[in-house]
Amino acid sequence: MKKTPKCTYTVCMACGICVQACPVSCLDLTDNNRDKYKKAFPQLDNEENCIGCKICEKQCPVGAIIVA
Amino acid sequence: MKGYTGKILFVDLSTQTTEVIAIDEAVYQQYLSGIGLATYILTKTIPQGADPLGADNVLGLVSGILTGTGSFMTGRWLAVCKSPLTGGWGDANCGGTFAPAIKQCGFDGIFFKGMSEKPVYLYVDNKRAEIRDASAYWGLDACEAEEKLIQDCRVTKKPQVALIGTAGEKVSLIAGITNDFGRIAARSGVGAVMGSKKLKAVVLAGSKPIKGADFEGMSQASKKFADKVRKQNLPKFAGNLLPAMGTLASKTKDTAPADGMLVAGMLKTFGTAMNNTMALTNGDAPIKNWKGSSKDFGKKQFKGFNPLVINKKEFKKYHCYSCAVGCGGICDINKESQGRFKHTHKPEYETVNAFGALLLNTDQDAVLYLNELLNRAGMDSISAGGAVAFALECYEKGIITTADTDGLELNWGNTSAIIKLVEKMIARDGFGDLLADGVKVAAAKIGRNASDYAIHCGGQEPGMHDARLDPLLGVHFSADPTPGKHTVGAGLYYQYMHLWKYCSWAPALTKHPKAEEFLPSDEEALKSIANSCYKMILDGAGGCYYGMLIGNEHWNVVELLNFATGWELSYDAYMEIGKRVHTMRQMFNVREGINPKENIMCKRMAGEPPLNAGPLKDKTVQIDEMVSLHWKHFGWDQNTGIPSNETLKSLNIQELYEGGQK
Repeated sequence: MKKTPKCTYTVCMACGICVQACPVSCLDLTDNNRDKYKKAFPQLDNEENCIGCKICEKQCPVGAIIVA
Repeated sequence: MKGYTGKILFVDLSTQTTEVIAIDEAVYQQYLSGIGLATYILTKTIPQGADPLGADNVLGLVSGILTGTGSFMTGRWLAVCKSPLTGGWGDANCGGTFAPAIKQCGFDGIFFKGMSEKPVYLYVDNKRAEIRDASAYWGLDACEAEEKLIQDCRVTKKPQVALIGTAGEKVSLIAGITNDFGRIAARSGVGAVMGSKKLKAVVLAGSKPIKGADFEGMSQASKKFADKVRKQNLPKFAGNLLPAMGTLASKTKDTAPADGMLVAGMLKTFGTAMNNTMALTNGDAPIKNWKGSSKDFGKKQFKGFNPLVINKKEFKKYHCYSCAVGCGGICDINKESQGRFKHTHKPEYETVNAFGALLLNTDQDAVLYLNELLNRAGMDSISAGGAVAFALECYEKGIITTADTDGLELNWGNTSAIIKLVEKMIARDGFGDLLADGVKVAAAKIGRNASDYAIHCGGQEPGMHDARLDPLLGVHFSADPTPGKHTVGAGLYYQYMHLWKYCSWAPALTKHPKAEEFLPSDEEALKSIANSCYKMILDGAGGCYYGMLIGNEHWNVVELLNFATGWELSYDAYMEIGKRVHTMRQMFNVREGINPKENIMCKRMAGEPPLNAGPLKDKTVQIDEMVSLHWKHFGWDQNTGIPSNETLKSLNIQELYEGGQK
């Protein structure tokens, strides 16, 4: 099975660093149904585009993303 | 090089050529990146006396050292140029996601000189920088054009776009540069400069990595900061308590330093809308073109601006790049705009007050609509609101009549007339054309004592905060080389920053801003200087103003800069860099013939005559004396505001000015 980014929402700050770091722009801050403030978390908007490069994982300042 | 790329891109729009210029590491150590690098480049490249709307003016879009290094609160970029609004140094600051894109293309800044004959945009990715035809985008509003450019230019990575709307195209002197569908670098007329160059947009699609020196140190600092921010959660009903908190704050005599993490909690819950009602009860918000009080705009009038009411329209939070707090939001305005727009960025407090209390307008839906209208046009909502307030007062005083206003009855609070006037300003139509260049230009054209009602600092309309509540704010309105900006410093900001614990010469907080700070003193001057120097560090780092308010104990910009660069400089050393950059901006103004005294805020803003009601009743600010002391302690002439040769020498910048004033 293809390895893709997985976000731990209780850790994620929704800062968008992973979104801007992604070289193929397959992540976006769109998942806004998990938080009482309607915070928008990163979501893979196109799994096929993900190249599994792990840049999002490396760039996340709080370790909220793993590519697995 | 760590934290910075060591390169800038220079674009000549007259010859349609681009050049990559290497920047020596010593330049960053002397000035930092961001505003410091920009000040250095503009000082060297803009010829003295250049026409702000001519080919010789240089427009820079710059990113900061911390942007992209794994630090939080560091997603700000700046537009810099000689301002057509003030005739001196111009800068405007913006969030969104454009700041990292500059560095991901391999540059710390992109600078433009010359003028194109036809509309163009710049496209940059990892391998190329191309000047392309923009005729298909010229005439579109900023959101329409941004969407189309992203669609047309996307190869793999989604491009980030900074662009002008129709206000910039029409060279309105209060036009800004937008990104992220409605964030705006609004101040100083930077959009007019971009429009004068026929540059519609800058499209960036690079994906180069940005590296810092101490990844582990930065990571630990970020995790610690995130843990604190996560815990800051306010109950939503707190929104109803904000007016009472404002009243309490206006009466308290407490001198204890404030904990900035509370600001993070308020921003998370309400955004800058937290100030919508609180500022009206504590006196921070200017009312009725700065001559009104809570008697004119009280509880009954401001109920529609309660942040809880606005939050109900918010369907998604919005974070700028690298922001752990997230003060932004996206609001549904389909109904409020009668189907014209689906959504808008949650209006900032500045916009709400500029189109609310400043005009005695109680219609919250109209403010939401105007917010989107101005964002799409790329027009500064602070200046636009100030211009409308000026027109309303001129109408009240009989200086202008319906014969001048194209039939608009410009009475206070006349919402439909206000909307029509803004639409005319954006289109540069009739009477709107007169106001589209700000209040100073409009007053000069109208004549007949109209300048008595033109509220500005050196040509720029001030932010929506009142120096009669916070006198140090007035010093920054007046003495910052970009006058009228509310984001530089204030007594309140100083209370939150806790600078005295880190900078050896910053005075400790011992006085209460409602009383003693109204008296000019050396101590107060040192506070305003510390604020000014710190702001230059912040703008060199790409830091957010709310990082500044959250304070050094939680978000220590100097510690983060050392993690990013590996320099290990002291706090005082960074403050010295801040002093250098600030002085260079002042020297830019002096060189361009600006008399610093003419930037001092107008008498009404200083409480002359004083208000006769509300929390600011009888308050006056001895602004001339305070500014004079501020200049003196900066090592500038205390009567003229001109930096002395000794100061230039001590800051190691005298060579830039040929030994004195160029």
